[in-house]
Amino acid sequence: MTTQVIDKSLLDAAVKAMPDDRLAGLRREAADRFVSLGFPGTDHEDWKYTNLSDIEALSVAWLKGNPNLQPVSSVTDITDEVRSAIDAHWLLVRDGVADDMLPDIDGIEIERLVDADCSALSADDALSAFNVALLQDGLRIRVEPDAAPDRPLAILNIDSARQRVVQSRLVVELAAGARLELIECALSNGSGSQFTNSVVDVDLENAACLTHTRVQDRHPDHSGIYRLQASLARDANIRHSSFDFGGALSRNDVVTDIKGTGAAVGLNGLYLAGGEQHIDNHTSIIHGVGPATSDEEYRGILTGRAQCVFNGKVIVAEGADGTNSRQSNHNLLLSDRAEIDTKPELEIYADDVKCAHGATVGQLDHAALFYLQSRGLDRDQAKQILTRAFAAGMLSSLSVPACEDFVSARLDRRLAELVDDVDD
Amino acid sequence: MSKMLEIENLKARIAGNEILTGLNLVVSTGEVHAIMGPNGSGKSTLAQVIAGHADYDVTEGSVKFDGNDLLELEPEERAREGIFLGFQYPVEIPGVNNAYLLKAAVNAKRKHVGMDEIDAFEFLKLAREKMALLDMDQSFLNRGVNEGFSGGEKKRNEILQMAMLEPKLAILDETDSGLDIDALKAVANGVNALRHADRAIVLVTHYQRLLDYIEPDFVHVLSKGQIVRSGDKSLALELEEKGYEWVREVANA
Ligand SMILES: Nc1ncnc2c1ncn2[C@@H]1O[C@H](COP(=O)(O)OP(=O)(O)OP(=O)(O)O)[C@@H](O)[C@H]1O
Ligand SMILES: [Mg+2]
Repeated sequence: MTTQVIDKSLLDAAVKAMPDDRLAGLRREAADRFVSLGFPGTDHEDWKYTNLSDIEALSVAWLKGNPNLQPVSSVTDITDEVRSAIDAHWLLVRDGVADDMLPDIDGIEIERLVDADCSALSADDALSAFNVALLQDGLRIRVEPDAAPDRPLAILNIDSARQRVVQSRLVVELAAGARLELIECALSNGSGSQFTNSVVDVDLENAACLTHTRVQDRHPDHSGIYRLQASLARDANIRHSSFDFGGALSRNDVVTDIKGTGAAVGLNGLYLAGGEQHIDNHTSIIHGVGPATSDEEYRGILTGRAQCVFNGKVIVAEGADGTNSRQSNHNLLLSDRAEIDTKPELEIYADDVKCAHGATVGQLDHAALFYLQSRGLDRDQAKQILTRAFAAGMLSSLSVPACEDFVSARLDRRLAELVDDVDD
Repeated sequence: MSKMLEIENLKARIAGNEILTGLNLVVSTGEVHAIMGPNGSGKSTLAQVIAGHADYDVTEGSVKFDGNDLLELEPEERAREGIFLGFQYPVEIPGVNNAYLLKAAVNAKRKHVGMDEIDAFEFLKLAREKMALLDMDQSFLNRGVNEGFSGGEKKRNEILQMAMLEPKLAILDETDSGLDIDALKAVANGVNALRHADRAIVLVTHYQRLLDYIEPDFVHVLSKGQIVRSGDKSLALELEEKGYEWVREVANA
């Protein structure tokens, strides 16, 4: 198979075909940047284990087919099901295009990106540039100083199938002292190869506090790249919890940049992978100043031939004294054909620093399995209970009570499928 | 009285080492048996083999339960047939709620005999009743299974599970070890409450002390994987006085 790459003429043609709206100038700039960068290959250290060639081939095929950029995803039963499961102010984004029905909430300004006055959207890395180059729309959420909405804000990103590439963009800005509980659900509508490239920019001003939960439960043919980049001013706080249950290839990059003292970063992730699923979590916590804290824990459950990656980078800059950072990654390997590559990456240039990290890869505890069986539980049930207990550790980190039932229901459903796939 | 557990010439090995070397034992309904013996003689091995631990290979002999071949059953099937093993070292299972396990265990058994699942109210009532009998605080229901329990609390928790499941045959592997005097009495209460003409109890213990509270019908001495001596409760007293060396001498003579 010859490698298929997105060349200039192909991308330019697609960009030119898009409407002449407020994003047009940004698209052209980003297209040029993307062409000079190209999709990262596996020779790139950060992409060593995650091969994007299928995604690129899909993108090429889609671009060649004169993409129809109108949203084709219709509001379906899933939408209603999800919306009724979580008590929140809901926003709907279909195939990257935000619904016009935006909730009116005190202290929050919400606009579609096509309507917003966006002078810049970050497009530094290749995927972000690709995102902006083909961006149709997105959402911008700004919470006013000291405002705190009564209920969480939830975004349902639902993408249709059928050989499609979707760019999704979210800009979140919390002014000083503002608080927000934000939930993102990423789902598919129907089956078929598909690729969604999402970028989320978060800007937290002094003492702003964002609790962000992302649940990805896409169709098995739906691949996604997700990048969240957050900047934290003095005493700002972000707690990000990510749950990857579905999808084909999923790559998450979470970059948090601590720019003010007293800031706190909390990252939690749970990934469940079976079959041929590939889930790659790359996190990067930059302690630019100190004192500040970061606390990170990711857990994975792998069966079948799943492949997962965890790479946790912590950078403590020169002078960032009083940094306190903890990181851990624990994996349950339920099949000997599944594979996990886990790696902490600490770069410490300051003196007064506490950094702890640890990673484990293990199987289900045989003594515990036998114990449960000896109480009359059959082996599959015992496995499921123990696996659930391992995952529950991450569920308890969920700081948005509104989506607890939703997440745990999806978790149970996926676990039941995975445990069927377990070796003995 | 009928034969419940019949073990004949049982040989079992783990990791290539033969631990049980031809063991014979018959336990009938209504009986309480105590098994004593030096460290490493194979008492826990016997208990684990009866419960169906997969790490042990049975190389010879047979084990029948109510006349049926026990060795071909999965551990969970044995449990549902009415065998309960109180572990010498109960396993900690963080993240699994104690009440959840109790309920799942009760339901597994009910399902096996064609009963509906226990309803939440009935379950709680039963659990509270059994906990009162064992002088256990109800907060234990909401903790992870044995998670952070003290040694004695773990043993009480084993007895709680036993009390909830009402097994036909309870094998209690050193359930008395590490218990303070109140806990010992509580555990003995739990065990005595289970005593019934249709049930049987096998106590593995090192101490005469337990047998003051739960009076055995038979006492056996296990040594090097075999039962080398059996007698009534006076054998336990004799052992306490003379030590195992005495049994070995007698056995070798
Ligand atoms: N995995 C193993 N590999 C090798 N030997 C083992 C293994 N597990 C147990 N054994 C051995 O089997 C023997 C019997 O152990 P068992 O636990 O049955 O003794 P016990 O009579 O219960 O002793 P105690 O009174 O100390 O509880 C011991 O010598 C022990 O070391
Ligand atoms: Mg023992």
